[in-house]
Amino acid sequence: MNRRLAHLLIYLYPHRWRDRYGEEFETVLHEHRGGVGATFDIIRGALKEHVLSSSQLSSHGRTFGALALKPSALIPVAMSLAALSVVLGHIAMYGVAREADEGAAAHIWQLLMAGQVPVLLFFAIKWLPQAPRPTLYVLVIQVGAVLASMAPVFFFNL
Amino acid sequence: MRSTRNVVKPDQDSGLGYYSDPPLLVLASLASGPKHGHAMTEDIVGLCGTRLGPGTLYGAIAKLEQQGWIEPLPPEDRRQPYRITLEGLRVLRSKLATLRQFAKAGLKRLEAV
Repeated sequence: MNRRLAHLLIYLYPHRWRDRYGEEFETVLHEHRGGVGATFDIIRGALKEHVLSSSQLSSHGRTFGALALKPSALIPVAMSLAALSVVLGHIAMYGVAREADEGAAAHIWQLLMAGQVPVLLFFAIKWLPQAPRPTLYVLVIQVGAVLASMAPVFFFNL
Repeated sequence: MRSTRNVVKPDQDSGLGYYSDPPLLVLASLASGPKHGHAMTEDIVGLCGTRLGPGTLYGAIAKLEQQGWIEPLPPEDRRQPYRITLEGLRVLRSKLATLRQFAKAGLKRLEAV
């Protein structure tokens, strides 16, 4: 295989993998006859190693993907989306007129918004010290979901 | 090392007959002694007619090393030879025994057809 191509293809692999196998793999590529099939095989191998290395990191529970799938990350987002659905459903059925008394929809919305606060706090307290950056990303999503569910309430002055 | 004297020639027209379980093929190749990557590829072609791509080969090598079934030897020039470990030999023996049992049962059923 062409030396330059071999060198480029190795850079498709994760950094850790290259540190361990890069040099010997390059030697194997130089001895290989190359071709389109071999190139695709290397690309597929590199993708597989990326998936493997990210799943290994996930198994430690410290990546954004792993944290975002924690129940304490998902529940607040689900509650915010449920609250948003309640508001939108109410608007669809009864319009945007403000009610004199707080109805069932308002109470459900309030319960959903207040109920997620302890879960959100639990998530932040547990994960911020261990993995600050991915935890912050998840918190941004959670806050975004909260703002999305609050937006129609303030926008329509319900 | 590059001899093709014992190369198995599967049904190349139909593409049938190729066996592809890269980790098992690498273990089987190393059962006859330590080899580096390119030598393993050629040896596996001789064993069963399957030519592993470099990405597939090194995927299998990395997995087997992680499992402790093969281990690296001191490098020769820029080549990295590997050898099978005792645990690797045990695994290979067990897998081949299962395959033999499977092949025997499958062929017996074919005889009945």
